[in-house]
Amino acid sequence: MASTILLVDDSATILMSMEAILHKAGFTVAKASSGEEAVTKLQGGLKPNLIITDIHMPGISGIDLIRKVRVMSGFQFIPILVVTTESQQAKRDEARAAKATGWLVKPVQPDDLLKVVKQILPNG
Amino acid sequence: MTDTATTGDRLKRFLPPKRASLAAAIIGGAAATMAMAVGAGGIWASFAGIIALASVASGYLLGHQDGTSSKAVRMRMFRVADELAQYRAFTRLLRDQGERITETTGNAATVIVTGLRDMDANLVQLQALMGTLPEDQSAALTSLVNAIGAPVVGMLGQLQFQDVTQQQIAFLSRLSRIVDQHMIDLAREMGDRRSMDRVGNFKDMFNKALDDCVMSSQRDDHHVAAGLDLHESNGPKIELF
Repeated sequence: MASTILLVDDSATILMSMEAILHKAGFTVAKASSGEEAVTKLQGGLKPNLIITDIHMPGISGIDLIRKVRVMSGFQFIPILVVTTESQQAKRDEARAAKATGWLVKPVQPDDLLKVVKQILPNG
Repeated sequence: MTDTATTGDRLKRFLPPKRASLAAAIIGGAAATMAMAVGAGGIWASFAGIIALASVASGYLLGHQDGTSSKAVRMRMFRVADELAQYRAFTRLLRDQGERITETTGNAATVIVTGLRDMDANLVQLQALMGTLPEDQSAALTSLVNAIGAPVVGMLGQLQFQDVTQQQIAFLSRLSRIVDQHMIDLAREMGDRRSMDRVGNFKDMFNKALDDCVMSSQRDDHHVAAGLDLHESNGPKIELF
């Protein structure tokens, strides 16, 4: 069974393009255009194998989303990748402290994205 | 003394009351001194004294130039405030243009992503149909279909430019708003000399905007523009913690 990835980004273009890339690689993709929507989906029963989130979003930021997810029952150990234009070391450290799994700086080459995703989800 | 009083009256027509009375006092005092010095020695001597007093008054009238230039300075301050309002209209125009660029590139990117996804889905269907063809025909078609489909993923990845551009424009918009606010403050201060010193330092505000830079390229540009040589380590592009 294909792994499910939850994409969280306020950019429709990013959601659509990453969904297409991941879907083509055989993953099932769920999307949320905000941190709030992601939390709602997780509370509503969505059980992704990986969450990929942006940092700069209106409302709940990506870092806050990670913190929220980490205290939700059943999601303490879910891998969470940050994909963002942010490259500041301080933010990176903040994400690491919030227990993010990894950090990718946009624009990410599809091959690089898939390589990292497959490293985290070796069984696809 | 009569002449002195007349001069004082004339001064009152040109000077603010406080300044005119001060000038009259100066002239009056000087005339009295002169009269005492000359005594009743002759009207010519008094007249010469009046001429000398006129030069004292002229000196004060030159001082009166301060008053006149204050008014001119005020007028120029209003003019500058007016210019600032026009610059604000210009920064607003820049922001509007930025929003349009974001909107048009966003729409274009959405259309392209949709088209690429549809194209990819059609290619997948085509590949399935080719399985029903004789092997000699399907081999050539498969290679062609694969060639057509190969760039799709790369193109989808390239569309991240829209998000990156959008954030760059949003950053410029934030900078523009800082400039805008600064111009509002400056224009306000144009009419209130007492609080002139309280206007924020633009360079400080500009440097503060560095906190809003999210991309290393933005920070580098900012450092160059601000004349700073501070550079930080941005870390690897991909990092697993």
